Amino acid sequence: MRGRSKRAPEEADVDLTPMLDVVFILLIFFIVTATFAQEEALGLEPPPPPPPPNVEPPEQQAILIYIDESGLITVNGRVADIGSVRANIERVKAENPESAVVIQAHPQARNGTIILIRDAAYNAGYTDGVNVVLSGG
Amino acid sequence: MARRKRGLSSGGGTDDDVNLTPMLDVVFILLIFFIVTAQFIKEPGVDIIRPEVDNKAQAKPLAILIAVDANSEIWMDKKPVPLAEIGFQIKRFRQDNPKGEIVVQTDVDSNAETLVTIMETINQIDGSTVINISAELD
Repeated sequence: MRGRSKRAPEEADVDLTPMLDVVFILLIFFIVTATFAQEEALGLEPPPPPPPPNVEPPEQQAILIYIDESGLITVNGRVADIGSVRANIERVKAENPESAVVIQAHPQARNGTIILIRDAAYNAGYTDGVNVVLSGG
Repeated sequence: MARRKRGLSSGGGTDDDVNLTPMLDVVFILLIFFIVTAQFIKEPGVDIIRPEVDNKAQAKPLAILIAVDANSEIWMDKKPVPLAEIGFQIKRFRQDNPKGEIVVQTDVDSNAETLVTIMETINQIDGSTVINISAELD
């Protein structure tokens, strides 16, 4: 190729610059799109798998947070609003540090409430083991 | 630029001309690399009001996204998906994106029943006990 262009310099010389421009634009496009959309996420635990039938579940005190269909929150039977859930969890945890947290939701309860309660449990120090279960069946 | 360069080369002889061919080769190889490795995230395509929470972590990029809208309908890749087909759809997305983390975008007004069913399905498929729920960005 190079030898031929030396023999006939004017006609055989192809101007590569426009193609180079296009290739650069494509390259920049694909480099830029190689950084992907970001999501920030909160970890939420599903109900635990059903235990084997003849194993007795260990006896421990649980903090049961129930959300009914209208969004009313009860912590161990006591009505609480969304801002006081964390304080309620921390109070029960102070009495009994081993207690586990279970979020029980009515099937029609809002997910926003569930996630805020899970967030409150994170704030109270429960980084794992807080399961979300449905009430009823 | 090109015209000026050609004028220079015709005036000063052939050795002034910069040979672009090796750079072009490299640029092409880079271009082909980025085209081949480009993977695009499949957006569910519905508007979600995400919950605002304090404890969130950056999900890995290129997640498999499942959206639950305010009417508790499930969307993946801009198509509504029946609840019973979620497991199948996740497995199908996994073929394109084997390492993709599942992130559920759930609207604050959707039903607990839908979300818990999706979480149970993901738990059955992945064995993961923590499911990522998309939160509002800072």
